[in-house]
Amino acid sequence: MNGRLAPLKDIVAIVGVGETDYAKDYRGSGGQAVEKGVARYDSYTLASRALKRALDDAGLTKSDIDGLCTANLSGERASELWGLNPRWSGSGDAAQCIIEATMAINAGLCTTVALVYGNAQRSMDTAYGGARVTGGAITSYFYYAPWGMTSQGALYALFFQRHKLLYGTTEAQLGAIAVAFRKHACLNPNAVMQTPLTITEYLNAPYIAEPLRLYDYCLINDGGVALIVRRADMARDLRQRPIMVSGFGWSEENVDATQLRPRLKSFYHGAHHEVAAQVYPMAGVTPNDVDVFATYDSFSVHLLASLEGFGFCKEGEGGAFVQGGRIELGGELPCNTSGGMLSESYMQSWNHQPELVRQLRGGLGSRQVAGAEVAQYVHDVAGKCKSLIYTKGA
Amino acid sequence: MATARPVRAMDPYAEQFWAFTQARELRLQQCADCRKFRWPPGPTCDRCLSDNFDWRSIRGTGKVLSWTTFHRGYFPEYPPPHTVVVLELDEGPLFVSVPVEISPRELREGMTLALRWTDGQDRLGEYNLPVFGPMNG
Repeated sequence: MNGRLAPLKDIVAIVGVGETDYAKDYRGSGGQAVEKGVARYDSYTLASRALKRALDDAGLTKSDIDGLCTANLSGERASELWGLNPRWSGSGDAAQCIIEATMAINAGLCTTVALVYGNAQRSMDTAYGGARVTGGAITSYFYYAPWGMTSQGALYALFFQRHKLLYGTTEAQLGAIAVAFRKHACLNPNAVMQTPLTITEYLNAPYIAEPLRLYDYCLINDGGVALIVRRADMARDLRQRPIMVSGFGWSEENVDATQLRPRLKSFYHGAHHEVAAQVYPMAGVTPNDVDVFATYDSFSVHLLASLEGFGFCKEGEGGAFVQGGRIELGGELPCNTSGGMLSESYMQSWNHQPELVRQLRGGLGSRQVAGAEVAQYVHDVAGKCKSLIYTKGA
Repeated sequence: MATARPVRAMDPYAEQFWAFTQARELRLQQCADCRKFRWPPGPTCDRCLSDNFDWRSIRGTGKVLSWTTFHRGYFPEYPPPHTVVVLELDEGPLFVSVPVEISPRELREGMTLALRWTDGQDRLGEYNLPVFGPMNG
């Protein structure tokens, strides 16, 4: 175990969470999905709303904030907009920001960090493939445009095709993931998708990049998320029970990434194993102790990779593992209980954190994982892997 | 007129790679010190950090690792359905390309495919595109 991580266990807590109204903001006046590219929001509007809600949730005010992490926003503009002069600032995905905020708090740079994300991707018609996506640096699929290769979805289609070829995983097995997450979304009034999805409907949906179908892809919707992370000794006696950041890990598998070697040769398990060797010993738990699990799910396939890479099942057995309700609420390992990015909201790792925090606080009604005490988030975006373990604070 | 294709990502090393294709030569950089082949082109060997390299012609055969078929149009130059294949070249690097003279249904894991050429152009100029088809095709 990494002895240098152990002292950072439980030194910070998540004390407040805030999200925008994903479902309401997705619908136009007639109840239909709002058109892409018709701007109703910008990212700062959504981020500001989430920040206010997170502060209210915590029972704190902005004068309590002395550190700021921003995502998909200019840190300077966001600080100015909110009237903040932080003593420390950062940016990145949710896991990166939580890990870095923990280190900043541990170093004494700040005590209470607001982590704020906003993304008006539907209003702005953001593209995630095709000619409108161009790389400043030569990385990822930009290089392969002359061959007509584009989009993160197609990269994950290559990943799943390889999994099918090596292990015999079937498309119907993969479909259990989208079906499970949709079932969870139907229990979450703030989820964009509220209509149940059957495995037959999944299989009848068109391919986008074969072998991935429509429902293997995440949503494109507007939203904002904010989290308040605070030094643990200052986290008691606030409005909510503090949820402790008990473990984390970080490893990136970038060698030969553009060639797709780690993606197709090892499904990024090299990074998963490195992160698992950090996050579980630091938190003092094993995969068996995890009551509720969430993974980054821009595509359904991410869950197969996470479950295999973190040891919930053997490599190649992910397709069988996700069958029979095992990953659903009431099952052995409920996964992405908000509906995730496939069916709740595509907040690029941010919406998973409030959901895990609420599961540990309790009181989620029909969506509650009974007796949840240990929650894990796995972040794996093209081999840039991190994980967090949350536990219930006193 | 050569076939229009989505614009290439360009830098000085990519420029050299594509210049070779005008003579239908598929050349990859090989580190002159540790001999590792690299792809995509770049300034430095990722194994030993040497910036000495040679542009080596490669055998032009590789084994199929995976493939995907686009059923939604992303580029006007590649209307759906469009299939892309990933090969492991004999020299080591993995290579994304387009399968030709073979249908997606006929692709198999580990199948050997061989280099073919097709024409291409974008706003940066004309070139030839390395694609892959069946052996003895």
